[in-house]
Amino acid sequence: MKFLILILKSARRSKRRTVLTIMSVALAVFLFAALRAVLDGFNAATEGSSSTRIVTIRSTSLIFAMPTSHANGIRNTAGVQDLTWANWFGGIYKDPQNFFAQFAIEPESYLRMYPEIILPPDQKQAFLDDRTGCIVGEGLANRFGWKIGDRIVLQVGIPTYGTQDFDFTIRGIYKPGGSAVDNQSMMFNWKYADERSIEKGQVGWYVVKIDSPDHAPQISAAIDQQFANTPYETKTDTEKQFQSSFASMFGNLNLLLGSIALAVVVSTLFVAANTMAMSVRERTTEIAVMRTLGFPSGWIFFFIAGEGLLISIVGGVLGALLAWAIVDGEKLGISGGFAPVFAVSPVNAAVGVGISAIIGVIAGTIPAAMASRLKIVDALRRVA
Amino acid sequence: MLIELKDVRKKYRRDKIEIPVLDGVSMSVSEGDFLALMGPSGSGKSTLLNLLAGIDQPSSGSITIGGTTISGLSERALANWRARHVGFIFQLYNLIPVLTAFENVELPLLLTNLSKKQRRDHVMTALDIVSLSDRAGHYPRQLSGGQEQRVAIARAIVTDPTLLLADEPTGDLDAKSGDEVLTLLQRLNHEFRKTIIMVTHDPHAAGRASHVYHLEKGTFVAA
Repeated sequence: MKFLILILKSARRSKRRTVLTIMSVALAVFLFAALRAVLDGFNAATEGSSSTRIVTIRSTSLIFAMPTSHANGIRNTAGVQDLTWANWFGGIYKDPQNFFAQFAIEPESYLRMYPEIILPPDQKQAFLDDRTGCIVGEGLANRFGWKIGDRIVLQVGIPTYGTQDFDFTIRGIYKPGGSAVDNQSMMFNWKYADERSIEKGQVGWYVVKIDSPDHAPQISAAIDQQFANTPYETKTDTEKQFQSSFASMFGNLNLLLGSIALAVVVSTLFVAANTMAMSVRERTTEIAVMRTLGFPSGWIFFFIAGEGLLISIVGGVLGALLAWAIVDGEKLGISGGFAPVFAVSPVNAAVGVGISAIIGVIAGTIPAAMASRLKIVDALRRVA
Repeated sequence: MLIELKDVRKKYRRDKIEIPVLDGVSMSVSEGDFLALMGPSGSGKSTLLNLLAGIDQPSSGSITIGGTTISGLSERALANWRARHVGFIFQLYNLIPVLTAFENVELPLLLTNLSKKQRRDHVMTALDIVSLSDRAGHYPRQLSGGQEQRVAIARAIVTDPTLLLADEPTGDLDAKSGDEVLTLLQRLNHEFRKTIIMVTHDPHAAGRASHVYHLEKGTFVAA
């Protein structure tokens, strides 16, 4: 305890420098935790995917549609138990900045396909009974203060749906029952979108329930085989692969975000090490005086390294707390649809603090070793 | 004898050149002596003081203080010995700027097993001896040069060391403050029977000591 006070007093020697160092470490930990949260969000969405669901899209790209006539062919494929479909709507709620995912779905089969969409029975029935009704995730409802019965208007965002605004009545607020479903999306009846669509009977993707995960490769191949050499060739993958391929549209996220996090941490390490080295150089006399008073070189090492560790950990805790408070995809309104739900987990925050401790140890070790090896007479002569 | 030096030599190396600083110095100092070391710059007086303080090692010869031959001790053992037996007073006071007068004086006691209360009692006694107990909470920047040096003296005596070593303790002070510091050192010598060795250029300061040694080119010469 008596030495902790010494370390604390030393850290406060140059308040501006200490604060700037703390901030640089805090920023590094903040960025690390935020990037990890996004990566974890993508990974959780992939891991939460069902192994008995496969997804059929156009072989060219997810953004191109297929005809509803494909449904019969898919349904009749051996091993297929159920089928549903959905379209990306891309509407605008008041302002393009209010982005959230909207899906036009085939209501009954979609809710059957995704038991993770947890909806009270009366709300479910109200949704099924109303062609212009919609259901929204509880996070989305909280974000805009919506409640059941509210009417909302979406401007058309994709020209294929015409130019007229779409009116909806909120018939249900769902809760997600797993990471395959987020709570930031809106879903409404596919027929409502289709009847206003310039080209009728178009589907973005089919979701197919199969009898066994082991049959996924054969069933996928069989589906795609049916539509080979037609104008609407398909590509069928497991839901997990579908999620992964969506994430990979952004490039190799693990490598990209991991590299950024590493670069930030390493540059912060240099900043912290340089600051500590500068601080030690300025304290040459004091270190010599303490050695003259009888402080062993090991203790001097402990003081300097301890100071680096303390500054770094304070920065780390600050950065982790900030990340925990700020980085939340739902609160920021950027989660939903294909974008994962993400937030800083306690594990990521703890790892961030751990990294700050490592920065502190490495940054403090070299200056501490310099200080502890200082020859007293030389150090005193340097200032005398 | 408290201090015995036998044929102590010290050479420094600058690049490939050896520079002899002390050239076979022998001396004895009794307990309770107040000794002044005088001599021109480069005569070796600060080097001799550093050797006596155990912060430098002789090239050859032996130094025995209070029965311990410190010239053969390891660095760790020397640090331990310094903490218990030596109080050092620097020309530029060398107080730690982020610590109060109290905390500066307490610093050497952190190496002991004394309780917080015992440390506090020792510090206040030391500050009382240098008449600065009312400045305990002041930082060095809030003190005058003379007061800073008195705090440094309190730090040097707080562990009740065997030996007080002072390297030009009045060199950076005005005449009045310098005189107060010398009076204090004399009092520590007379009243508390502290053995003091003081390096000085100032004949007036040396006049306060009971013995004066002159060094020239690394050896003692007659005054």
